[in-house]
Formats: sequence, structure tokens, C-alpha cells
Amino acid sequence: MKIQVLQHDPALHLPQRPGDPTPTSRNLNPLMHPFARARERTRALNAAKMDRMFAKPFIASLEGHVDAVEVLAKQPGSLTTVASGSWDGGVIVHHLARRSQLLHAPQAHKGKVSGVCFSREGRLFTCGVDRNIKLWSLENSHTENPQPVTVFNGKSAFNSIDHHNSDPLFASASNLVQIWDETKSLPISNLTFPTSTETITSVRFNLSEASVLASVGSDRTFTLYDIRTGKAERRVVMQMSSNSLAWSPTFPTTVLLASEDHNLYTFDIRHLDAPTQIYKGHVAAVMSCDWAPTGLEFVSGGWDRTVRIWTEGRGHSPEVYHTKRMQRVSSTLFTSDARFVVSGSDDGNVRIWKAKAAERLGVITARERAAIEYRDSLKDRWKTDAEVGRVVRSRHIPKPVYQAGKLKRTMLEAQRVKEERRRKHTRVGGEQAEGRAEEAGGCGADVGLVVLVEVWIDLPFGMGCQEERSGAGE
Amino acid sequence: MDALIAKADALGPRQKKRKIFHDSTADSVKKRTGVPKSLQDKDLALNVPSHKHIANKKLRTELVRNATQTARAKALLEDAEMMLAEDAGLMQAEGELERTWRVSQSEIKNGAGGDAARGRREWKLDGGPYRSRYTRNGRHLAIVGSMGHAATFDWLSGTLHAELQLQETCRDITFLHDHSHFAVAQKKYVFIYDRDGVELHCLKAHIEPTRLEFLPYHWLLASIRQGNAGYLKYQDTSTGQLLVEHRTKFGACSAMTQNLHNAVIHLGHQNGTVTLWTPNLPHPAVQLLAHLGPVASVSVDPSTGGRYMATAGRDGTVKVWDCRNWKGAVREWSARGGAAEVEWSQRGALAVASGGTVNVYTSPIIQQPMHGNTQPPLYLTHPIPHRPLTSVRFAPFQDVLTLGHAVGLSSILVPGAGEPNFDSTEADPFENRKARREKEVKALLDKIQPDMITLDPELIGSLAPEPKLSTTTTTIDGKPARGTETPFARLPRLERLRVQGKADESEVVDPDDTAPDGRKLTKEEKERKKMRGKGKSTKRYLRKQRKNVIDPRAVAIRAKMEKDREERKARAKEKAGGEPRKPSALDRFARG
Repeated sequence: MKIQVLQHDPALHLPQRPGDPTPTSRNLNPLMHPFARARERTRALNAAKMDRMFAKPFIASLEGHVDAVEVLAKQPGSLTTVASGSWDGGVIVHHLARRSQLLHAPQAHKGKVSGVCFSREGRLFTCGVDRNIKLWSLENSHTENPQPVTVFNGKSAFNSIDHHNSDPLFASASNLVQIWDETKSLPISNLTFPTSTETITSVRFNLSEASVLASVGSDRTFTLYDIRTGKAERRVVMQMSSNSLAWSPTFPTTVLLASEDHNLYTFDIRHLDAPTQIYKGHVAAVMSCDWAPTGLEFVSGGWDRTVRIWTEGRGHSPEVYHTKRMQRVSSTLFTSDARFVVSGSDDGNVRIWKAKAAERLGVITARERAAIEYRDSLKDRWKTDAEVGRVVRSRHIPKPVYQAGKLKRTMLEAQRVKEERRRKHTRVGGEQAEGRAEEAGGCGADVGLVVLVEVWIDLPFGMGCQEERSGAGE
Repeated sequence: MDALIAKADALGPRQKKRKIFHDSTADSVKKRTGVPKSLQDKDLALNVPSHKHIANKKLRTELVRNATQTARAKALLEDAEMMLAEDAGLMQAEGELERTWRVSQSEIKNGAGGDAARGRREWKLDGGPYRSRYTRNGRHLAIVGSMGHAATFDWLSGTLHAELQLQETCRDITFLHDHSHFAVAQKKYVFIYDRDGVELHCLKAHIEPTRLEFLPYHWLLASIRQGNAGYLKYQDTSTGQLLVEHRTKFGACSAMTQNLHNAVIHLGHQNGTVTLWTPNLPHPAVQLLAHLGPVASVSVDPSTGGRYMATAGRDGTVKVWDCRNWKGAVREWSARGGAAEVEWSQRGALAVASGGTVNVYTSPIIQQPMHGNTQPPLYLTHPIPHRPLTSVRFAPFQDVLTLGHAVGLSSILVPGAGEPNFDSTEADPFENRKARREKEVKALLDKIQPDMITLDPELIGSLAPEPKLSTTTTTIDGKPARGTETPFARLPRLERLRVQGKADESEVVDPDDTAPDGRKLTKEEKERKKMRGKGKSTKRYLRKQRKNVIDPRAVAIRAKMEKDREERKARAKEKAGGEPRKPSALDRFARG
């Protein structure tokens, strides 16, 4: 008879010397792990809840402006330097980490500062509605009333400014796009679409194909220019005008438009007949947008007093940031390390937010990093579960925004139902259903675009804030 | 502009296929620097669905990647078995005349030697028949005598944690999540004590409890009441809440056990029924007339994922049931000496203690269906002179069986009963204090909500069935009634996708859906083909066997039917005057 009785060897399971870690043994037989799935789901639910619990994105508010902040710009190559321009004509260069001011020019312009940008060398350009472009140096900036290095005079009020990626050139937007040389006092060329008489709202150079630039204007247009040919090349007419645009830093052909119709659009400029993605979420006009340097995310600020962070290619459910005191957000920025978001709003403050709401700042140990990654993968794996998904998706938003969103959804749905019924009861080949008969805009040669536009909803909040939204230079 | 865009590399036309770049240096080095074949991933013949029907490339790639990873993990599980260090115990007959059940405990003890021999013990104790319970890691033992003597101790090292003389009737004892707490079913209430024997709680909601069970992953303490109403009560030990009380209405109950794999409580009642309970159903999930007298004992087999259940009744029979199919017992036989106590071990050995002996049967035979009342082949038997035998418990991760009887407890060695390889994340007999405390916190964080207890533990995380209820009204010919049509914009998302033809229906695999040539049948065709009335018995048999079970008999029948069909087809073809049959040597015997 062969007899063998199970006995565990203590040498295998107890530490050899005092201080050694206790040996662990694994048995991957599923019978040894009852309820593995249910326990993993519980873990995923806890991870999702913890994520929401620690979601405290607001970091700091930078003061200094007397009136609403209109524009923000980051210095290329720097993680901390951000310039802001205000309606009172003041320009401040902030140091985000120290939360101090590198330059404070309270009367940089008369009237609104409508554009700021940095050159590669770190010099600051500002333009205003006082028809001036001013060049500032950050070196001797610690004076009480700093003076600009150079002043360029224009013929009409400027709305936007952007610097060339490598050359000493910059573009300004007024009723036309002008290209300036840093060393010359007059613009070296004027770019305009032949038949257009519009006001250009915003102009941006492409980041890799540096001589291509794009603008959006008050005639609901999005126009592409090339400074080598000195001509406007293409134009798209949207159904509502865009407030801001941003080129993707990683996909040179992708451009993002922040539109008045509550949506954001990405276009591939090789195929301008349809947007690659529509980002729906804001409940009022989107005032500004900026890409993260990774090109995977972007931030937008809206007239609905929220800042939203979107994933590229995902047209819904963005991250929503808001505070009680933040008013209409007129400018937003992603910092160069993709970890922070800066927003400037009508209440005159520049706010710093985390890009990932629940991220912990500071040093993270390897174990903690592993735990975070495990939790992230759990959340991703179980996001289709009803309860986990609900926690992951839910965001608290202010009541007026919520109500406006609800109203908007109802109206859009009603509109779609009506449209469908109307189409159903129209004879084949009969009159076109309403809403399709939109003409392509008064631009003969350019590519007509019919982007289906949602209704415009007047937000029911902010009765006390009746300031004119003339910021776009209309 | 077009010329410029074309010239700039970044703005190159999108449709153009990217050229695969070959670096000659890298290619030359690759041969020498690659992972050798023997160390590469095994060429796992992964049966991954191609997801070809999904148009979205990104989604498809992700689905394929997920499926591959799952299949790979499954395939690699086999490799992980090499890491299992320890061997299970065994007792094997070497000669033809040897029988394992003839081997006595003293022989096993001599054969085991060393530490293993310590499992054979006799504890002589006063105070009536004893019951015992091990912790989940098999290290600690709690015993209670019916006269009120309760003790917990680490039986391997022999350290006593607590010893109590409760001076009243005690009917059951159980450890909670680990050996730091235990609950005793006393005369009137359930009491909870800590490791040192300090009374922590008196659960006054549990009146006159007879049996206790602790569901470790849900942190629930279940008790069943003695009286006629037979209340089953669940207490959440992490929050202290009385979760739910079910009135079983089956009379007094003295048999209770849990299925470790789905946390369902099995009760055996006075009238011979066995019922299965979950906290979220007010009635039993399953009710089964198991015996012609009171049920004495119930146990669920942990080695097959809770698939088999053994019951013993006062009518002197022991039955093994298949929990997937309650139509009749898999096996039944009569145990000598009246009511028996039954218990399955981790590796599927069934111990039956009745009269003055304990018999042990081993795993695959005990679960094979058998007609008649023959006793299954015996693996091991051990006589105990102290009647009655009141409790049988296998020690987890040990080859030890502990029996409670009138004059104390005796533990015997059953080679091959215990699982040799434990998992430190679940239950570790050698864990230290720090590990125990850490595990307690982790277990609390992973606590499963009680409403997730279902008969099928795989329900969580599986695809929800499509709701059958629909609000759309149809006219008599199946078309939607006028005016009640839901506009497209108000349809739920799945319906909208279906209307657009974008819904993925590939998950639902119904064998009736496809024609023999692989074409998908429409609804009308299916309806036409549906067999009505003349259900041949073989076909019915095959249809019933179809789900998830590969039965050699069904396979054979199917093969035969397929062959018949082929032959019939060939004959019909020949009759129709198709290609002439090849002449055969046997043709000379053909008639006519």
C-alpha cells in the first residue's frame, strides 16, 4: 500500500531569517478564487467612487486684472509662463508655479487687449482695440510701469495675434489678416479672401507647416492662408460663426474650431467637406479652445461658465469644471506638460486647474503608481457595468447649466421628431424638408459646407450679467 | 495650395498606403537579438473570434486584442500549474488483493510520519456531543460541546486562544472572517466572542439558533431558528445590520450549509425538503423533496464549483444530487446506523459518519450517476465507539477529518482530502499577524453586496439579456399600429442601431438561426422550419442535450444521423440519374 499524507514544508512558507519577507504562494485554479468577478466589480466600483471623491481639480486663482480676462497665451518651451490680457487694457505675465507676476503692465493698451502671443525667444506681443501692437521684453520687467520695446501701428482695431513658429514674423487679425516682420514697422503683406468683407476674429499659424495659417471670422467663415503664396487658399462657411481655433500639435492637418452653436469641430484640412468629429456638450457658445501638447486632449471654455476637457475623437461627455465664482470663460489654455489647464474668465481671474481632476500632485511612489494604474484599468474594464458606469460618468454641474442642457436635449429631440414626421409625410420629390434648404453662404468659389446646426438657446441664467458680448470684434 | 500640401510630407494625401520601412542594419541584427524560439510565447492555438462584422476599425482592434488576451491568459494557466510546489496526499493499492479501506488509522499514521502524523488525535472532553469548525485557512479550530464548553485554538502549534464554560446549551459554533472572532449559537441567542473569548455582541434578533454559517465574501452571518417557523436570518457583520429574515415555514431545521461558490444557503428541513436560499428572495430559490423523513445533514462539494450536493436523512439514506438538474439523485444508498452526517472535502472526498463508523468515498466515482441503492466503493473507513457522531469537518489544506462525538473529538487522517496548494491572497495557513490584518482590510474593501447573491455566480459581468417587454403595439398582422409608432429619435439606442443596420447581433448564437448551408434564416423561414407535433424522440433527446454539454452518446447519435443523411442524399442523387455509381465487386450479389 502506498500512503502519502499531505504536509506543508514550513521552510517553504515561513521566512528563512528574521526580517525576510514572508513567502507567498499562488494557486491560479479558479476554484480557489470564488466570486473573483464579483469581487473585481466591487473593486472597480470602489475605484470609480474614489476617483470621484478625490476629484478636486481647482488649484489656484491668479488675481491682478481689474476687468474681465480676454486672452491667454503660453510661452513656447516654458512650463510656467502664461500671459493674460484684460478688458481694462492690462497685461500680466504670470509665473504659474510661484503664482507671481513676471510682468505687470496695467495700461498696456487703451481699451481691451484682444490678443497676446509669445515669440520663440520669449518676447511678448500684445495687440488691442487701440490699433496698436506692442512688443514687450520680459528681461527688464520689474518696474512699476514697464514700457514696450516696440510699438507697431495698424489702421484698424486688432482682434488676434499669433507668432510664426520659427521666423521673426507674426500675423494680426483685424478686418484682414496682416503679416508683420518684427524688424519692420509696417505689415509686409495683407492676406484676405477675395470677396470677403468680414472681421477676422482669430488667426493661428500651423505648428509644423509653419507658413500655413488659418483664421475664423464674423461671416461664419474658416479660412486657410499661405504666406508663401500670399493668398487665402480655402474657405469654409459654417452655419454659425466660430469664436476661436487651434491647430493640433501632433496632427498637423487637424484643426479645432470653437463654434457659437455650442459645439466644437475638428476638421482635417485635406477634407473640408465634413468635420472629422463634432464635440457636443456645452450649453452655450464655446468661446475658446486649446490643444494639450499631446494632441490627445483639448480644453474649451464656454459662455455657460464651464471649462470642459475633451478627449480627441470622443464627441461627448467631457470633463466639466466650474466654480461658483467663475463667470463666462473667455480664454483657456493647456499647459505645456499637459497636466494643468488655465482659464481666464469674466470675473477677472485666471484660474489654474488640474487636467485630470482626481490626479494627485506631488511625488508618487512606484507602489502607488501601480495601484493607480490598476484602478484605472479596472474602471476601464467595468465601465459598461451599469453602476460603475454611472459613477464614472456622473458629474455635478451647476443647476442652470443642467437645466439648460436638459432643455436643449428636449428641444433637439423634438426638432428631430418633427423633421422626421415632416419628411415622412412629404411626397417623394416634393418640396425639401425645412432645415435642409439652407444655402451654402454667399461665397462663390469656396467649398460650401452645411454643418447641421443645433438651435441656439438663450441661457436662462445670469440676468445680472448683461454685458455686451462684443469681444469677437463684431 | 494643393501643390504645397502635396509637397509637405505631413500634409500628404491620407489614402496613400504607407510604405513599410526596412532598415538593413536592424534586419541583420534582428536574427541575433530576438528572443529564442524556446523562450517565445508558445504558439497558442488561440480560438479568437475575428470580429469581422464590426466596421469600426478601432473598436474591432480593441475587441480582438481583448479576446486574444483573455484566450492567452486561459492558455497560460496551464503553465502556471508548474509553479504549484506541493503534492496532494494519496493512498493507493499496489497489489490486486489490497484494499484502501482495510488500512487502519495506525497504519496511515505510521506511513505518514513526521508532521503529518500530528493530524491524528483524540480529544477526550466532557460536556456532551461536540461540534467543530475550522477557519478558512485550516489553521484554527473552534469546538463547542452541547453543555456549553467552547474553545478555539491553533491546532497545528497547539496554542489555545480561548476557552469558555458558557453554562448553557450550545448548538453550533463558527469563526467569522478569520480566527479573531467567533460566533456561538447558544440557548437563546447568538453571541459573538473575540479571539480571547471576550463577549463582544449578543445578537438578540437570532432567537434559539440551531445552526450558523458565515459567508466570508459577503460578511454575512446566517442562522436558522429552532422552532416551527424556522426563521433564517442574515446579519451583516461588517455593519452590524440585521439584513433580512426569511420565514422558511418548513418547520424546525437542523441541517444548514453554504455553497462556497455562490453563497447560497442550503437548508434541510423536518419534512424532508432541502431548500436553497438567497438573501434577496423571500422564498427558496430551489425547493426539493430529498428524503422521506427529516433531513439530518447537507453538504456541498467545493471541488466542482458547488455542482454536487450530498444529503443524509433520518430515513437512513445518503443521496448525492446534481445542482444543475434536480430530477432525481445522482446516487443514493443507505447508510448503516440511522441518520448520517455528511461533508465534502476540498478535493471532493465525501465523508459520511453514521452509526459508529465514518466512511469516506472519493471524488469521481461518487459523482457518477448510478441506479439502485448500491453503496459506492469505499475509500476509507474508521470505527468510532462513541455514539452519536454529531459533526464531521475536513480541515482545509490538510488531510485531516475531525469528528465530533459524545466524549469529545477525534481527528483522523484521510490521505488526498485536502488541497495541497493554497493561495496566499485567499487563505494562508502560515500567514503572520500583519498579513492577517492586511487581509481583513482588503476583504472589507472587496465585500460583495448581499443582493448580488444568485444561483449562478457568473451572472455578474455577463451580458444582460434583452428585455422582453416592449411598449410598441402591433396590429394583428404584425405591423405597428397606426399612430403608435415611436419616432426614430425617441427609440432607445439599440433599436436605433438596429433600424440603421448597425447593431451587432453576433452575440446571440442560436443553432436554429442558420440553415445547413450556413446561410442565416429569416424569421419567417425559422417559423416555417420549426418542428411542430412530430417530435422524434432522438431529436428531442439531441435538442435537450445541446446546451454546453458534450455527451459522447449525443455526439455519436449526431454523427450517425449525419451519416444517414449523407447516404440518403447520395441515394436520391443516384436515383435522379446523376453521375453513375462506381462499379463494386459486391454488385454481383445485388438483386434485380
